[in-house]
Amino acid sequence: MERTVHAPARRAAALCLCLLLLAGCAGPGAAQSRPAETELFAMDTYMHLRAWGPEAEAALAELSAMLQRLDGQLSVTDPGSEIWAVNHADGAPTALSGDAFTLLSRTLDFCAGTRGALDVTLYPVSRAWGFTTGDYRVPDPEELARLLPLVDCSAVTLDADARTVTLPPGAELDLGAAAKGYAGALAAELLARRGVRAAMLDLGSSTICLTGRKPDGSDWRIAVQDPEDPAAYAGVIACGPGSICTSGGYERYFIAEDGAVCWHILDPSTGRPAKAGLLSVTVLCPDALTGDLLSTALFVMGPERAADWWRAHGGFECILIDENRNILVTEGAADRFTPMGAYTHAELTVIGREE
Amino acid sequence: MQSLRSLAGKNKTWALALAGLLAVLALAAALLARAQGGCVARVYQDGVCIRTVDLSRVREPFRFTVTDAHGHENTVEVEPGRIRVVQANCPDQTCVRTGWIGTGVRPIVCLPARLTIRLEAGAPDVDAVAR
Repeated sequence: MERTVHAPARRAAALCLCLLLLAGCAGPGAAQSRPAETELFAMDTYMHLRAWGPEAEAALAELSAMLQRLDGQLSVTDPGSEIWAVNHADGAPTALSGDAFTLLSRTLDFCAGTRGALDVTLYPVSRAWGFTTGDYRVPDPEELARLLPLVDCSAVTLDADARTVTLPPGAELDLGAAAKGYAGALAAELLARRGVRAAMLDLGSSTICLTGRKPDGSDWRIAVQDPEDPAAYAGVIACGPGSICTSGGYERYFIAEDGAVCWHILDPSTGRPAKAGLLSVTVLCPDALTGDLLSTALFVMGPERAADWWRAHGGFECILIDENRNILVTEGAADRFTPMGAYTHAELTVIGREE
Repeated sequence: MQSLRSLAGKNKTWALALAGLLAVLALAAALLARAQGGCVARVYQDGVCIRTVDLSRVREPFRFTVTDAHGHENTVEVEPGRIRVVQANCPDQTCVRTGWIGTGVRPIVCLPARLTIRLEAGAPDVDAVAR
């Protein structure tokens, strides 16, 4: 008799279980996997923004407007931008907006500390190579010798009270290595203010900003591109909130008549493509501006100086891929990075605190 | 005893019905997963989707050319399961160099032409690609 009493209960339980399973299947899809999405072309790149939650839609609209505004202020090629005005002031002081002034002053401080690895006044040289216009060419040595004296970030004068900047005649600024990072830092503040708890801002793949964790609570999975195969990954990083900034020679380059690969990251001390032994640098940093500046600076420094810089300053982790296809990773990122593809069996050197 | 046996028979009917229901659910789930995993490529011009190609349904390779008012031309090639920009008149050729895409989250982007090709995969392997 016991069966007759319990069978209906069992059936009911089985049905409930089925319903629960169904609800479980539908749950994550309905509540989490559909982010608000926006794409835009700004800062000379393609940006793809995703955010989750009730505030996401409004936050992304505000964010797009902010990115377009910053692009208009900071572009080096737009005759309406503040940077254009500075570059064409012919030695006179130029007033800046709060954003442009803050960015420039932080970038100048950073450049001064890199002892020449990064210089915000490199523009006359990078323009000679055609990297901002697409008219690629190799400048002759005389031309470079004439332009290099203009590259000197210590000659830029800021007046914090008047909020002006003054350049020596002929000198020109390019905030290309900093603008997306600064935009990412501002974006992180905006998303926090708006109460968005999960967002992934791909500001042109070289700067990726992560807010919170994925809606299901897991880490973001960010691939590092194989520098020699655009279709493959060199590895995947499991990341929490923060920024991922990458610099590599493979994104913007041309082949010179003599067959040399000329990429867009130039060494300010030589005015030529930076070839210090690295193919790509990926920096994980809480602050996107610092991360953006660092990825370019470390690429120019090369593996040894980059490791020394990390030991001396800290505050970030990095993954370096060198010319011999070895991977160097700072100890804080070693557990989070998994090599893939052609790099599955690559030599992976962990950079430790002690030399 | 009679009532017990008939109840047992009823249970069997229930079990069969339940098994049938589960089978139907499993089939639906499998179809849904396939529909999501089946890769759809969307071609965007200045942020507007101008063409959608279900790569899982492509049998014969084909090409089409996207043009704009500024004279940009990108020729797109489609094969079963993958898509690429095969030819373009942009100066940087980044879109052509990107090569085939058929899985993953990496889009094809032609900045001068403001053209992007993105995949909509069911379960992407990574959330973004740093480059």
